[in-house]
Amino acid sequence: MPILEIKNVSKFFGGLAANSDVSFSMEQGMIMGLIGPNGAGKTTLFNCITGYYPPSKGEVIFNGRRMNGLQPDKVCKLGMVRTWQKVRPLAKLSVVDNVMVGALVRTISLKTARDMAMEQLKVVRMEHRADFLAGGLPIGERKKLEVARALATQPKLLLLDEVMGGLNPAESDEIIQLILDIKAQGLTQMVIEHDMKAIMRISDRIVVLTSGEKLTEGTPQEVVSNQDVIDAYLGESHA
Amino acid sequence: MNKRMLKAAIGLIVLAGLLVVPRFVESPYALHMMILLFLSVSQGQSWNILGGYAGQYSVGHAAYFGVGAYTTMMLMYSKQVAPWVGVWAGVAAVIAVALVIGSICFRLRGPYFVLASIAVAEIMRLSAINLTTLTNGAEGILVTEIPAFKIGERVVTDFLTKVPFYYIGLFLALLTLAIAYWVQHSKLGYYFQAIREDQDAAHSLGIHISVYKNIGLVISAVLTSLAGSFYGIYVGFVDPPTVLGLDVSVQIMLICIIGGMGTIWGPVLGSLLLVPLSEALRSNMITEGLVKIGLVSADSKVGLFLKENLAHAHVLIYGILVVLVILFMPDGLMGFVKKLASRRKREAA
Ligand SMILES: Nc1ncnc2c1ncn2[C@@H]1O[C@H](COP(=O)(O)OP(=O)(O)OP(=O)(O)O)[C@@H](O)[C@H]1O
Ligand SMILES: [Mg+2]
Repeated sequence: MPILEIKNVSKFFGGLAANSDVSFSMEQGMIMGLIGPNGAGKTTLFNCITGYYPPSKGEVIFNGRRMNGLQPDKVCKLGMVRTWQKVRPLAKLSVVDNVMVGALVRTISLKTARDMAMEQLKVVRMEHRADFLAGGLPIGERKKLEVARALATQPKLLLLDEVMGGLNPAESDEIIQLILDIKAQGLTQMVIEHDMKAIMRISDRIVVLTSGEKLTEGTPQEVVSNQDVIDAYLGESHA
Repeated sequence: MNKRMLKAAIGLIVLAGLLVVPRFVESPYALHMMILLFLSVSQGQSWNILGGYAGQYSVGHAAYFGVGAYTTMMLMYSKQVAPWVGVWAGVAAVIAVALVIGSICFRLRGPYFVLASIAVAEIMRLSAINLTTLTNGAEGILVTEIPAFKIGERVVTDFLTKVPFYYIGLFLALLTLAIAYWVQHSKLGYYFQAIREDQDAAHSLGIHISVYKNIGLVISAVLTSLAGSFYGIYVGFVDPPTVLGLDVSVQIMLICIIGGMGTIWGPVLGSLLLVPLSEALRSNMITEGLVKIGLVSADSKVGLFLKENLAHAHVLIYGILVVLVILFMPDGLMGFVKKLASRRKREAA
């Protein structure tokens, strides 16, 4: 059984179809890359999947359960969590407290939550930052904090929205390694990223969106050799 | 000795000191000031739980203060219900009011809660004025005799001096502080602060936003209601402007905003500043002080002007104070103290 099925999902904002009739499914343990030009509807699709917006049409099925109409908090409790493209640190809380907020969805004990949080901070190599205020972190660490906080909710499916956006190559490499480590733990991931090299390296399959529609789907090799993709998206950079 | 033990020791000494004050202080005026201080701490800290920690600014806490005060007083006045029973009726009424406001406003984003909180307090005030059969209307309710509090046959107190009120006030302030401390050091506090910092992030991390906002509101409202009941019984009189007026709501907020929101000691510092200040303004102590130190002479034009007007400038001076605090200490007195402490630490290092 696929862990996630997107069935004919559309999302309209007034007259604009930010997603139209998007379908694909994901198997347990895989990394699905989600690419497309700016404004293609990638973040909107995350919003529809995680309950931030109800899809205008279509269905989202997670672990066999229909998710339409569920609120983000419920979605998180059921095991699906996303990070934010425009990072959302809880600025006046410390780094470890930020991650604890994530962990607290699984426990009522602060002590347990703190242990869980420190564990996730180790995963993203930020233990030394535990007591810093989240609002004062540089962008690279804010992105990693997003990941640690999401991981602390102990998801079955992790949705990463441009966690490499705005990072330098060294930081991006660190994130790539992090995503692969998370995969090795058996966690399923959907990753939005603009950096083609990175997405090729980490993805098992890739879905390409343009103007809200699914252009194609396939393995990284299939996608980069697809003429439509080259025309529509890769054209500029790979020509 | 480590820092934690030092703090605990200081806390115990202060507490012991507060417990024995009535043994050594006989002046009813001094006790009265202490009682006002306790009341202020519990009001400010109650507001803090919702406003400071959860970031939901209520500009209508007079509603809970007034409903608590009125319920207790009305029951005592017309049904001879003892106040320590009536208090709980007040709490029940306040929970109902809070849940009605919360369940409507917290579904919506934006400033609805702020606006609705003002509106509800006004509705309560107007109801108190107009439901004359229940509330005596604008005349208010005067209850001078409180039944003696007995356990079995033994009279614990007959409420004839300020001493029992001193201890009840102290208990109330400590209770409120303890609950705020517990909130801060529990899942609830983390969730409140997450909601305050970023509602979308909080929601995506599994926090049911409206449930937690309602929990914060109910805790805050119940504690404010207790403070209101205490006020009613202590003063022996309630009328619409003194317990349900907009300035009551503003005063409650200011204690916390000036002291420092989202901290345990903020409302205490705020009270230590505001209670003496408002007392000084009210009783024209400032003018007398200025005259005494010879800055102005009592029968000069300025002196007469101050004498005439300063007491009425209460609200104006409050307003100026708030502006100054917000400009120069955006995190309140507590934020200022913390900044000083960390600067000293850095200099020492
Ligand atoms: N809440 C909204 N209301 C109206 N329009 C929206 C809303 N959210 C997104 N859109 C529009 O939907 C389209 C898709 O936006 P979306 O953010 O999903 O793109 P994206 O693929 O994530 O782009 P990027 O790579 O820049 O992050 C855009 O045209 C955007 O302006
Ligand atoms: Mg996006």
